Amino acid sequence: MAVSISRSNRSGLRPATIALPALLFVALSFLSPAFLSVQNLSNINGQIAALLIVSLGQLAVALIGGIDLSVGAALSLTTTIIVSVNPDFALAAALFAGVAIGLVNGIGVTVAGVHPLIMTMASMTFLQGLALLIHPVPGGTVPDYIAGLAWTSASGVPAAFFWCAGAVAIASFLLSMTRFGLRLFAIGASQASAARNGIPVKWYSVGCYVICSVAATIAGIFISARVSAGDATVGAPFALDSITAIAMGGVQLAGGTGSVAGVVLGTITLGLLTNGMNLVGISPFLRTAATGVLLLLAISMQRRNVIGV
Amino acid sequence: MTTHSLPTAACRSIVRLFSSVPFAYAGTAALLAFAYVTRPALVSPVLLLLIVRQAAPLAIAVLGQSLCMRVLSLDLSIGGVILAVSYILTSGILRLPEPILLTICVLFGVAVGAVNAFLITRIRASSVIVTLATALILSGVVFSFSQLRAPGEAPTILRYLGQTKIGIMPISPLVWLALFVPLALFLRMSVFGRYVDAIGANPRAALISGIPYIRIVTVAHILSSLFAVFSGFVLVGFVGAGSLDIGRDLPLSSLVAVILGGVTFGSGKGGSLGPAVAAFMLTFSFNLLTSLGIGEPGKLMLQGAIIALAATRRSSH
Repeated sequence: MAVSISRSNRSGLRPATIALPALLFVALSFLSPAFLSVQNLSNINGQIAALLIVSLGQLAVALIGGIDLSVGAALSLTTTIIVSVNPDFALAAALFAGVAIGLVNGIGVTVAGVHPLIMTMASMTFLQGLALLIHPVPGGTVPDYIAGLAWTSASGVPAAFFWCAGAVAIASFLLSMTRFGLRLFAIGASQASAARNGIPVKWYSVGCYVICSVAATIAGIFISARVSAGDATVGAPFALDSITAIAMGGVQLAGGTGSVAGVVLGTITLGLLTNGMNLVGISPFLRTAATGVLLLLAISMQRRNVIGV
Repeated sequence: MTTHSLPTAACRSIVRLFSSVPFAYAGTAALLAFAYVTRPALVSPVLLLLIVRQAAPLAIAVLGQSLCMRVLSLDLSIGGVILAVSYILTSGILRLPEPILLTICVLFGVAVGAVNAFLITRIRASSVIVTLATALILSGVVFSFSQLRAPGEAPTILRYLGQTKIGIMPISPLVWLALFVPLALFLRMSVFGRYVDAIGANPRAALISGIPYIRIVTVAHILSSLFAVFSGFVLVGFVGAGSLDIGRDLPLSSLVAVILGGVTFGSGKGGSLGPAVAAFMLTFSFNLLTSLGIGEPGKLMLQGAIIALAATRRSSH
């Protein structure tokens, strides 16, 4: 793959990235009369908010050429923490767990030199077990102030919208207005060159894994507020869904290419697909299969240099 | 100087010797010793043979997984393949004689492996993502089909394979042995085996020196899916009926077994026996944990910790 110096390449946005959600939107509004209702659109917004937050975290890791499969388990763990600890410390405990998970992943990958897929698969398994240990059966009560975070609305706009807007604003600021963001692209393009130019690659990599895990815990807080319960398996689909979303948004999993706009578009595509299949009445299991097909299609557009993992 | 460096050098070579022996051997010995003290019933020959029988499907799947990992790839579609095989065999959706059903399953395995391999070698997509996506597609399709027709009883020939004993020796470990010995010999004696080691040691050098890289990886993935089909045969026979849970933990367990068995990314190291011992060790440890009253969450946590520790230990030198 030739290294291109054109500026527009860094975002990874292609016509297909933008056209796919647009086409889906148009097709669905013809296929199903219920699709364009305000109720349904705000439903979609609520459904994709958590995935969007997780995917933005995944973007940070993907930009440096890593991957995080533990996001789903981290999300599940968060919902179980929130219903299990003292309500006063619920948020703090969840965020603390997020930072800790990110540190373990990051240190495992950078210092111990474990392949990111293996490291995060290990932590995924561990966290899944921990979540089941803390809270085996779905249920429990979510503190009122947390539930309020997902169910209030300001002048008709549901809270989920503000969660999305906030996440997008923070991610865009970090990536395009700070030195940190710029350096992530440099690390992703070439770790060795970045290190020779004085970028503390290890610290930045650990930072990315922490950002990703914290994003997963924030999504977990949102989910537990939305469903008002803790569920140790609620996050299971998020690992692959978030990877599908960013891959469809033009993010190169080899690192160095990607954009917040792409991730938003990819997430919307996935959300529209789920919602559309619901409205048209297709089995939710086929939706899983469709996610797999989409993932393969999105991946097929990214030819890498290496063969294998 | 020399008097000082000699012992350290000796120490270092002893350490190196120990760290080159797969963790699975020491781990199995330690587990057996621990079980002998705390749960002596578990190490009786009859129970050990039962555990060996229980380990057979994992050990068969591990053959393919370790081949993939030795060429720096990974196959997480094993679970999906086994699920599909179980559904083809037991749901009665195809009303055909048993031998034809088994043949269809084998062909199906080859097809899945070929698709995986195509995407990994030609499109050059990450093997983890490709095989996870394949697993998603397979399980999604099987689950939606099973709403029409639930899985039922296993074919008689497989129940025979999975459940019968000759004397006290169950048959399913023999199935594993019949697959293991030819594969191990083939990898040790053939040019193909040397190529596999070369790719594992240094993929770039292997590519540059003209080794048929793509063909080797393709064969590895096809074999891996094929072994998954065989593992599915034994598993379906062992359970006696199809289910939608079947083989769910095999992708992860096989990965753990291969890592514990001493196969590592990027070193070209790793034999065939280590992963097999590790498969037994894992199955034994699950039985031990169950008998100690530690449930599913504890097993998952332990499994995760083991993957991380084994991978850390392996990549640190």
